[in-house]
Amino acid sequence: MNRGIAYYILGRFLQSVMVLWIIVTLLFLLFRLAPSNPLASYIDTTFTKEQEAALLARFGLDKPLGEQYIIYLFNLARFELGDTFSYSGKSVLDILSADLPNTIYLTLSSLLVAYAVGVLGGIAMAALRGSLFERVGTTFTLMTRAAPTFWVGMLLLSFFAFQWKLLPSAGIGPAVVRYRWETEWDKLMSPVFWRHMILPTFTLALYLHGLPLLLMRSNMLEVLDQDYVTMSRLAGYSEWRVMIHTAARNAMLPVLTALTLGIGYSIGGNVVIENVFSWPGLGRTLVRAVQQADYPLAQGAFFLIALIIVFMNFIADILYSLLDPRVGASAQAQVS
Amino acid sequence: MSILSIRDLKVDYATQEGTVQAVDGVSLDVDEGQQLGLIGESGCGKTTLLKAIVQVLPRNGRITAGKIMFNGIDMLQLSKTEMRQLRWREIATIPQASMDSLNPVQRVGSQLMKLLRVRGGYDKRAARRRAADLFDLVGLDTERLMHYPHEFSGGMKQRAVIAMALALEPSLLIADEPVTALDVIVQHQILEVLRELEQELNLTVMLITHDISVVAQVCDSVAVMYAGRIVEQAAAEPFFHAPAHPYSLGLQQAFPNLARPRDELVSIEGYPPDLREPPSGCRFAERCPFVQDSCHDIDPRLELVGDNRLAACLRSGEMETLRSQAEDPALWQQVEVAQEPILPPPKSPSITTRGDLGAPPLATASVETPPSPSQWGGVDDDILLEMRDVSKRFKIGGGLAGLLRGDHEQTVYAVNNISFTLRRGESLGLAGESGCGKSTTGKLLVKLLDASDGEILFDGADLAHLEQDDLLNFRRRSQLMFQNPFEALNPRFTLYRSLTEPLIIHGWKDEQQRLGRVIETLDRVNLRPAEVFLDKYPHQLSGGQLQRVVLARALVLHPDFLVADEPVSMLDVSVRAGILNTTRRLARELGLATVYISHDLSLLQYTCDRIAIMYLGEIVEIGPSSGVINNPQHPYTQALIAAVPVPDPTIENPPLRIQEGIPRPTEQFIGCPFAQRCPDVMEACLDIRPPAITDEYSHMAQCHLYGDHRDSPKLKRGAEVTSGNTR
Amino acid sequence: MQQEAMVRDDPPGKTTAQFRQGSALRQLWETNLEVFQRDKMALFGLCIFAVFALVALLAPILAPNDPLTPLKNANGDWIKDALPYWLAEPGEDEAEGYTNEFLLGTTNIGRDIFSQLIHGSRSALLVGFSAAAAVAVIGTVVGLLAGYYGGWVDTVLMRAADVAFGIPFIPFIIVIAAFFDPSIWNVVLAMAVLLWRDTGRVIRSQVLVIKEQAFVSAARVSGASNLRIIFVYIAPSILPLSFLYGSFAIAWAILTEASVSFLGFSDPNTISWGFMLQDAFLSLALTRGAFYWIIPPGLCIMLTVMAGFFIGRGYEEVLFPRLRRM
Repeated sequence: MNRGIAYYILGRFLQSVMVLWIIVTLLFLLFRLAPSNPLASYIDTTFTKEQEAALLARFGLDKPLGEQYIIYLFNLARFELGDTFSYSGKSVLDILSADLPNTIYLTLSSLLVAYAVGVLGGIAMAALRGSLFERVGTTFTLMTRAAPTFWVGMLLLSFFAFQWKLLPSAGIGPAVVRYRWETEWDKLMSPVFWRHMILPTFTLALYLHGLPLLLMRSNMLEVLDQDYVTMSRLAGYSEWRVMIHTAARNAMLPVLTALTLGIGYSIGGNVVIENVFSWPGLGRTLVRAVQQADYPLAQGAFFLIALIIVFMNFIADILYSLLDPRVGASAQAQVS
Repeated sequence: MSILSIRDLKVDYATQEGTVQAVDGVSLDVDEGQQLGLIGESGCGKTTLLKAIVQVLPRNGRITAGKIMFNGIDMLQLSKTEMRQLRWREIATIPQASMDSLNPVQRVGSQLMKLLRVRGGYDKRAARRRAADLFDLVGLDTERLMHYPHEFSGGMKQRAVIAMALALEPSLLIADEPVTALDVIVQHQILEVLRELEQELNLTVMLITHDISVVAQVCDSVAVMYAGRIVEQAAAEPFFHAPAHPYSLGLQQAFPNLARPRDELVSIEGYPPDLREPPSGCRFAERCPFVQDSCHDIDPRLELVGDNRLAACLRSGEMETLRSQAEDPALWQQVEVAQEPILPPPKSPSITTRGDLGAPPLATASVETPPSPSQWGGVDDDILLEMRDVSKRFKIGGGLAGLLRGDHEQTVYAVNNISFTLRRGESLGLAGESGCGKSTTGKLLVKLLDASDGEILFDGADLAHLEQDDLLNFRRRSQLMFQNPFEALNPRFTLYRSLTEPLIIHGWKDEQQRLGRVIETLDRVNLRPAEVFLDKYPHQLSGGQLQRVVLARALVLHPDFLVADEPVSMLDVSVRAGILNTTRRLARELGLATVYISHDLSLLQYTCDRIAIMYLGEIVEIGPSSGVINNPQHPYTQALIAAVPVPDPTIENPPLRIQEGIPRPTEQFIGCPFAQRCPDVMEACLDIRPPAITDEYSHMAQCHLYGDHRDSPKLKRGAEVTSGNTR
Repeated sequence: MQQEAMVRDDPPGKTTAQFRQGSALRQLWETNLEVFQRDKMALFGLCIFAVFALVALLAPILAPNDPLTPLKNANGDWIKDALPYWLAEPGEDEAEGYTNEFLLGTTNIGRDIFSQLIHGSRSALLVGFSAAAAVAVIGTVVGLLAGYYGGWVDTVLMRAADVAFGIPFIPFIIVIAAFFDPSIWNVVLAMAVLLWRDTGRVIRSQVLVIKEQAFVSAARVSGASNLRIIFVYIAPSILPLSFLYGSFAIAWAILTEASVSFLGFSDPNTISWGFMLQDAFLSLALTRGAFYWIIPPGLCIMLTVMAGFFIGRGYEEVLFPRLRRM
C-alpha cells in the first residue's frame, strides 16, 4: 500500500519537474528571442562598443544561445537569479526574498477567511436550497466574483481610508515603524502591520470566497443525492449528523484541493491587489520590473510564481490521493 | 401477532404532468417471524411503499390516507424525532443499490461502529466487539473491518450492509432488491446468509423484489403488487403451485426455469396503466388474457379466496380452469394492447391496435431494396464464423505518460486462447460470472476490438485484415444488440434518425427506400403501427419498446450475424419474454447466426442451440444447451447451475461447493485457471493444463477429471492451492 | 459527409421526412433556446450583452464628445475635474467659461467621462467575445481530439494542459505586454494560449464518457467513420458545454482586460473601463471622493461580467440538472 502511494508521489513529482522545465524553457525563449534587446534599457546611447560588449559579457549575453540556455538552467537549479538592472544592482534573490513573505501573509490570511466563510456558506446554501436566503446569497456571491477586485479595493480605500480615515491606505507600515522590524517575526507581532493587512485581506477574501462557496454548495447537493446519505437517514441519524458528519465531510474533499491550488494561483493573481494597496509583494515587484524593463527581476519573479504554482498543483494531487482512499487505491492497484 | 400492519395506505407523487397515485389503498400485515416477499414490476409502487413505511418519501411524495401500525404504534402520528429513533433500532432498511450505501471515504468498520455507538449507545470497546461479531455472523473476515468499501467486492458490500442492518437487532428488516445486480454465485451465497439468519435470529423480514425465484428461496409468504395495489397475498407454497391471480400466473410463466424448460415463454403484453388516471375497473384488465366485459367496470376487491389466501380477481372462482389455460403462450399473445409509446399517455384506452397473431407479414412496406442480401432467409449448414485461438490482452498504465503518472504497466488477460465455430443460423450462448471475458468476446466478434492473438474468420476472411469496402461489408453483415436500451440509442435522435443512420452509412441514397425499410423493420419487431414511432425520441418510450428499437436497428441492414449482449437484463420480467421471443423468432425466420451473452443460464437454455461457459477468459465447457445444462461436466459449470435459484419453494438449492471471488485476470495460469476455487482440485490441476475432452455430442469440457490425470491425488482446499500456480 | 448533406436536401413534398431528421444543428439550437427559456437570469444576461453591444456599435453617435481629446473652455483652458452637471454648483460653469453638460463630469485633464464610458464598452466586448471564442474553440478541439483519439495525441495535449496550468495567468499577460506593443489583443492572445486548459480538460472527460456509450459503439458497428462519429454523435453532445465555458470565458476576459489595463499595460489610445479606473486611481480621484468617476466603469465591468456568469449558469442548469435551483 505504501509502496503504491510512494510510486504515485514519485511519478507526480517527476511530472511536476518536467512541467517546470518546459515552463522555464518557454520563459527563456520568451526573454531571449524577444524583438527587443534585453539590455536595451540598460545600455545608454553614449556607451562605446567596448562598454556594451563588457556589459553583455557581464550578463553572459555574448555566448551562443545554446550555452546561455545551459548556464540559465544551472543557475535556476541553484536558485541564482542574477542581478537586477534597477534597484542599484541588488541581487534578484534579495529583492524577491524580501517580497515573498508579504505576498504569502496576504494570500494565506485572505484564503483562510475566504474558505472559512465559503465552506460554511456553501453548507448553508445547500441546506436552505430554494429559499430566499439562498437566492440572495448566491446572487451576492456572484456579484463579488464579477466585480473587479481592484475596483472593490478602490471603493473600500476611498471610504475606509480617505472618507472615514479608519484604516491606512497603502503599504505595510510607515518607514519609522518598518525600520524597527529586524526579523519577520517582529513584523508579524506588530499591530501596525496587521492594521495595514485588514483592507487588502478583506478585498481579496471578498473575491475569493465565491469559489469555495459555490463549489461546496454544488458538492453538497451532489453528495446529498448519494445512496450513502440516504442510508444514514434510514439509519436514524439526526439531520445535523447527516449534513455535517456525512455530507459535508465528503463534500469538503474537492474544496480542500481547491484551497491548495488556490494558494498557488492567488500568489500569482494577487498582482492587481498588491498594486492597489501598494503592498510590497511579488506581484507589485513584477509589475515594476516589467515597467522598468528590469528583465532579470521580471524573469526571476515570474519563475518564482510559476514554481509555487507547480509545487502547489503537485501538493494538491498528493493531498487528494491521501484524502480520498479511492484515488490512492487506483494508484496502488496499478502496482500491486 | 402482526408487527407491521398497513391499512388502506395511499401515497401520491405530485409531478408536472399530474398527480401519480403510486400506492393506492394497500393493506398488508407482516407477522412476527414471518418472511414476506413483495413482488412486482418496476413502477408498481413497491419501493414507494417501503419509503412510506420508514417515511423517507421524496419531497413531492405524500401519504394521503391510511394507517401504518408498527407494534401497536401509529407511525404516521409520530414526531420526526420519534420516527428517527424508531428507524434502524426497530425497522432496519437495506435500500436498493445498497452497493453504494457505504460511505466511500470511511472504513467499513468505523461506519459500523459509529452506528453502534451513536444509535445503539455502545461504548467503544463493546462496539468493536459487536462489530467483529456481526462480521462473523454474515461471513466476513473481521480483518475486513479496517478496509474501505472500494476494497470490497459486490457480495462483500452486500454482506456488510446486512451486518449494519442487523447491528441494533431490529424487530423488522426490510430489504429492497438485496441480490439484484449480483452474480449468481454471489446471489446464492447472500440468499444463503439471509436464510441462515432468518432461522438463527427468527428475523421478521419484508423482502422487495421483481424476481420470484428469490422469493421462493427465502420467503414463507408472498404478496404481489400491481399498479399500486396488492392483487394477491398467500403463503409461499400454495402461491407457487397455484397462483390465484392472472397477473401472478403470467409472472410465473414468464420466468425461464432451468428445471422445467419450455418451448416458448409467456410474455405479458402491454404495460402497466398510467397511474395519473388509473382505469376504473380492474387495473390488470387491459393485459389480462381472461378479461371479461365486467372487468373494465368493476374494481375487484382483495378477498379471501381460500385458506388464508387473498386475491383481487372477479374470476377467482374459476381459477382452476384459468390456470390450466395459462400454460399456453399463444393465449397471452392474443391480448389486445395499445402499442402506443407510453409517454405521453394515451388519452383514452380506445386507441388500440390489433396485434396480429402468428407470423408477421413479411415486408409490409414492399420496396425491395438495392443492396439486398442473398442471405436473408434460408438456413445454411456451413460455417459463418470461426474463432481460432483468439486472445485479447489489455495493457493498463505504462508508457511515458504512465511512468510519469506513477502507473506501472500491467496486462489483463481478458480473453485467453478461445476457439469455437458458429454455423449460419445457429445460436450460441456465452455464460459466466462478470469479468469472465464474455463481453470482450462479443466485442471481438463484431470488431469493436481487435484480437491480440489468433484469428477470427468471418465467411473465411480474417477480421484483422479487413479494409475499406470489405470492412464496410462486414459491418453491414454483423450487428450488436446492447444491454442497456436506455443508452443504446442517441438521446438526441428521433427513432427514425437512429434507424436510418446505418442505411445512410451504407449508401442508401433514396429517402423513400430508407423509410420503407425502417417501417418494415419496426413492424417485424412488433412495434406497430410503425409510423407512430418514427418521430419519437428515446425518452418517450418504455424500456421494452426501446429494446425492440435497438433490435430493429440491429436488423435494419439485414445482417447475417447478431451478438446480443445481455439483451434483457435491464428489463422487467413481463417484457423480457416478449423481447426474447421476438429475437428468437426473427433469428429463425431470417437465418441469423446469433451469439447471446448472458449471466442467466436459464435464459440461454431457452434461446440457444449451444452454450459455452467462460471462466477467466477461457471456455471451460461448450456443447449443446441441453447437454451443458442437464449434464454439466466441468465443476465450474456445475456450480453455476447449482447457484441458479429455482422459482419453487419446495426445491431447495443444494449448498454451493465454491466460494465467490474471481481472481484478477492479470495472471496467467500454468495449470487450470479454476484450480483456486475448484472443489475437486487435484495436484495435476496446479501445473498441467487440463485437456479438452469431447464426447460424441460435441460436448467439450476442459478438465483433468476426465483426462489422463484423473487419478492425480486430491488436494484439500487450502493454502497450497491459492499459491503457486501462477506464472 | 456528402450523405449528410443529402439528408438535409430532401426533395420538396417530403416534409414529414424532413421533420424526422432532427439534425445536429437544430438540436443545438433547441438546447440554446431551452437555456434561455428555462432560465430567466440567462435571458437577462443576454439582454445585458445586447444593450452593451448596441452601445458599442453606436458609440460615436451616442458619445457627446471624443473620449480622448481634453476639452477646453472659452479661454482655451482645459476643463479639469468638472463635476457632473447634477452635482455642480449652478452657474459655476458659466463663470469658468463653458456649459456643463457632462453627465459624469470630466477627468483631471478635461476628458469627458461619460463618453469614455460609452467607448469603453467597445474594448470590453471585443476582448470578451474574441477571447471567449478562442478559448472555446481551442478547448473544444483539444478536448475532442484528446478524448476521442487517446494514445499519444491525448498524452501530448494533456501534458500541454499541465504546462498551461503551471503558468501564472496575470503575470504571463504582463510579460507578454512587455514584449509586444501595448494592445487589447495581448489579453486575447494570452487567454487563447493559456485558458483553453480548463475547457479542454472538461470536454475531454465528457468525450471519454460519451465515446463509451452504447449508441456510439452502435454507430461504429454499423460502419460509421471516425469523422462521422465525432461530428454526428459526439460534437452535438458537447457543444453546449463549449458554450457554457465560452460564456464564462467572456466574463473572465472582460475582468482580465480590466485588470491589465488598470495595471497600465493597455494601449493608452484605446479607451477601456480598466484604463479609466487606472486614470482615476493615478490622479488621486480616490482621495477626492470622485465617485462619479470611479463607480460607473466598475459597475459596467461588473454588469457585463455578471451577464457572462448568468448565461454560463443557465447552461449549467440545463446540462447538470442536479444543481438546479428548486
